[in-house]
Amino acid sequence: MKISFSINGQKKSVETDGDTPLLWVIRDMLDLKGTKFGCGKAACGACTVHVDGESIRSCSFAAKWAEGREITTIEGLGTAEDPHPVQQAWIEEIVPQCGYCQPGFMMATAALLDKVPSPTDEDIDNNIINVCRCGTYYRMRKAIHRAAEIKKSNTNT
Amino acid sequence: MSEDKKSKKISRRKFIAGTLLGGTGLLFGATYLGRHSLRRTMFEALETMAPAYMGDVSDPLMWFEIFKDNRITLHSPKVEMGQGTFTSLAQIAADELNVDIDQISVVHAASITGNVDGLSTGGSLSVAGLWQPLRELSATMRQMLVLEASKKLGVGANTLSVEKGVISGSGKSITYGEVVQGVEEWEIPDTPPLKDVKEYQYVGKPIPRIDLVDKVVGSPIFGMDAELPGMLYGAVVRPDQIGATYAGADVSEAKGMPGVVKIVEEKDFVGVVARSMTEAENAKNAIKAKWTVEKKWQTEDIDAAIKVGAGEPNVIQLHGDEDVLLSAEDAADASYVTSEYTTPIGAHAQIEPNGALAHVEDGKATVYISTQVVKITRDEVAATLGFDAENVNIIPTYLGGGFGRRLHTPNAIQAALMSKAVGKPVKCFFDRKAEFQNDTFRSPTHHIMKAKLNRNGMIEAISHDYSSGDVMFGSPMFPAIMETILGADAGALRGALIQYRAIPNFTVTSWKVKLPFSTSWWRSLGLLANTFAIETFMDELAEKVGKNPVDFRLAHIQNDSAGNRLKAVIRAAAQKSGYVDEIRSGRAMGFAASTDGGTPCAHAVEVSIEDGEIKVHKVVCAMDPGLSVNPDQVRAQCEGAIIMGLSASLYEKMYVDDNQLRPVIYGAYRMALMRNSPKEIDVVLLRGQETPGPVGEPPLGPIGAAIANAVYRLTGKRSRSMPIEV
Amino acid sequence: MKYLFILLFACSAIVVAFNLQNDPVVETIPAVTASITTAASEDNTAFDTMMKVLMHKRCVNCHPSDAYPRQGEDSHIHRFGIERGKANHGAEATTCNTCHQADNNNQSGVPGAPEWSLAPLSMAWQGLSRTEIARSMLDRKRNGNRSIKEIEHHLTEHELVLWAWEPGVDNEGNPREKPPVSKEDYIAAVKKWVEEGAHIPDE
Repeated sequence: MKISFSINGQKKSVETDGDTPLLWVIRDMLDLKGTKFGCGKAACGACTVHVDGESIRSCSFAAKWAEGREITTIEGLGTAEDPHPVQQAWIEEIVPQCGYCQPGFMMATAALLDKVPSPTDEDIDNNIINVCRCGTYYRMRKAIHRAAEIKKSNTNT
Repeated sequence: MSEDKKSKKISRRKFIAGTLLGGTGLLFGATYLGRHSLRRTMFEALETMAPAYMGDVSDPLMWFEIFKDNRITLHSPKVEMGQGTFTSLAQIAADELNVDIDQISVVHAASITGNVDGLSTGGSLSVAGLWQPLRELSATMRQMLVLEASKKLGVGANTLSVEKGVISGSGKSITYGEVVQGVEEWEIPDTPPLKDVKEYQYVGKPIPRIDLVDKVVGSPIFGMDAELPGMLYGAVVRPDQIGATYAGADVSEAKGMPGVVKIVEEKDFVGVVARSMTEAENAKNAIKAKWTVEKKWQTEDIDAAIKVGAGEPNVIQLHGDEDVLLSAEDAADASYVTSEYTTPIGAHAQIEPNGALAHVEDGKATVYISTQVVKITRDEVAATLGFDAENVNIIPTYLGGGFGRRLHTPNAIQAALMSKAVGKPVKCFFDRKAEFQNDTFRSPTHHIMKAKLNRNGMIEAISHDYSSGDVMFGSPMFPAIMETILGADAGALRGALIQYRAIPNFTVTSWKVKLPFSTSWWRSLGLLANTFAIETFMDELAEKVGKNPVDFRLAHIQNDSAGNRLKAVIRAAAQKSGYVDEIRSGRAMGFAASTDGGTPCAHAVEVSIEDGEIKVHKVVCAMDPGLSVNPDQVRAQCEGAIIMGLSASLYEKMYVDDNQLRPVIYGAYRMALMRNSPKEIDVVLLRGQETPGPVGEPPLGPIGAAIANAVYRLTGKRSRSMPIEV
Repeated sequence: MKYLFILLFACSAIVVAFNLQNDPVVETIPAVTASITTAASEDNTAFDTMMKVLMHKRCVNCHPSDAYPRQGEDSHIHRFGIERGKANHGAEATTCNTCHQADNNNQSGVPGAPEWSLAPLSMAWQGLSRTEIARSMLDRKRNGNRSIKEIEHHLTEHELVLWAWEPGVDNEGNPREKPPVSKEDYIAAVKKWVEEGAHIPDE
């Protein structure tokens, strides 16, 4: 079936089986490789993207549900030249190690800050439940608090 | 990673290589391992745990590519799996090449360049092992450039100096990039004297990771991100049973499924090639593979196999008189103490699954892959396809986690066979269930600790017997003969030796067991389990004689270099954490220390029990890796190792149910999440030697025991099994 | 004992009926009244059939009595420490819909249906007996102020409830267990039960 949506601000149409996981539409049809495959079972969170501003795990999101919706991936969150506050904080705290799970974490964090601009440690624990095998959680927590500060100061200025 | 960019890059390098070396060299390599005897280096590494780099270090031209615009690319024979090696290598090279770090980029050396590690990336040895060779190579390269510049500028080499890759003297100057233009032949001079560490601008500084921005914007740098034009997708049916041998398949249903290009039936596997990942997966699931299984295993069988006394024994450490312990045991002496410990099967659970993109065409094979064993991957693919090694190019990518999982890469062979079958590039990855069930697991272990205490509350004799499956043995990295020569598995023994060498009598025995499934390298190998046993036991002994566990440890450490460094990290961790042997505000502290590959490390943890769950609030880690080339990344390795070790110690456990290894999904295989990670991790780095030592694994050692010791203070009950439960 | 319950039920039915005076959906009164007339009947087949379904894990997993949804055939606590959250829909930014969509995802094995969420704590069923579940279902203070007809509607037409008969496959592709009664028999039983007065038999 033909599925039309907006991704990172651009209108796109793809022709695929409606049950194809959105993850593979993003990675293999649209060549946006920042969204990662980890488990394919919505368990690890490496494939987290935003659909209409909400965090969703794209490995478990059938392409048909994307019709008419707005998708944001890590490539649309920000760029090296113009990073999103979450990416900026990740750079400042030097969070990534292997880096594979990080886009999923950053997408989940960006959604969290949209809902809870100044998350407490408990908010972070309840919302950021992706899996990182390198164990970068300690720096991520610092980066999430830092991102909240950056985002607030950006809004204020 | 489009084909366009790739071919441009290769031709560029050919041009430079041709110019530099008259048509050989950079692309075709010199001699691999020419000056190293594999065996000798192995034994050196084993006996002294001294870092050894097993690749060619005779030719700087295999390492550096210098571009006209004065950018330099370092082709690293070590892979980047998160440990920060690329950044440290760039720092080392920049300092000896006299260039800005921004001028250097680091890439994985493709196997065709010849700059391939003879063994692997692992053992915490990348930076430690390349410290000396890379400084020499960089200094030599600088000298080569200066000599050439001297010719071009007509100025004596002695009067030339280099800054930021610009060579100048007598009012003239030329960049490295300009120097290399048009050079037909290079002469490799003697290595000039290396700089003093104090003169380095980058070494020793917390430079941000050079891959930081790529990893924050989601650049396509991983194995799974690789693409080639016309690429198809493969999926291989993998067994869900232990000891299963492939015995054919019914592919009739899969054949007609949407997108299927070809069913590939080989002698030991069946796979499918399709037009998309999803179509390949769906067709794979429709293949009914047959497996023969000789025996149905259960967890109880594995538990029964992993028992001290059950395998093949080898005494791996013996000092003093072991009869002291035996007579105390026989006499049921009150000063005799014994305890048993167990650890479970552990999964790697790295987030990027194993897989490869292979293209086999015209007698040549190209494989993009996250691998820790570039040379072995190449040789295995070449052997399977019947190609010469020179006709197989392994292009390593950034690894979405290594942890030892990518020291076995049969997936490269499967991708290559499927590519050959369809004549197009094929990308083929594990699914998560296959990843969990076909892992090369951390072996379960069983330990018996025994000690005899004297009247002064000191250990008179101690022994450690441990049972483990293979770690090193059975690995493609080592010839099978190693097993006969060594007897005891050199991986399983990591951390097993007694580090308290002021004890008059101590002995360690390894009990080697063959398990029916693959056990192998898991970050830090035997260290986590062995330290769990020894350091929990030390805590028990300290308690028995009524001594502070920190003082008790210090009192048993000898006064030599290794002993003094160990004592220093123990004191540092105790002091920084304010270690107290009492419960305060519902929190207790636990302490443990270990030495791995010559790097001593001590952890003091603060733990409470909340809603029946163990909660680790704070970890103070003191470690002495010698010189920290990048202190920030050394800290990152400590933080990561602590969290990975905490996860393994508190949550992780594979079991065998009706011949299946389980669980097969994250969550069911519980791992530490954000909420389980300490909010405070305080790393104290000591510098007990002026060269860099192992970093990536040593801080995993003490974490399990430190937590168990804290839990004991809270509950009064000893936790002698991982995962630690209350 | 049995008669005491009938009496209590009759009283509560009257209270319910009284409350319904202010409710626009008042056509349920006859049905409630009917329960009194048929209360003495010994035939609880409809109730038994209905409760076999409602007591099943496909229903109870999402009607927990604490902060944690349940999962799987063994009703284990939902992995990853997922909590109920303020709106019975998970945490602020990681909600049920982060993973669960409007239908089952057979690629991932993640189940889904429209309005995927937890029943509120007032509708907690986990650990309750079947009569306790039935009573809580009829109690407007606990059932979201639903009339008996609305309850019947929820039980027989709500897609999230009927998902129990199309539970999809798990993460390994194995079909999830369905309730022990067919959907048609269940719906017929609920309707009959309501029609017969929503009588709750003795324990």
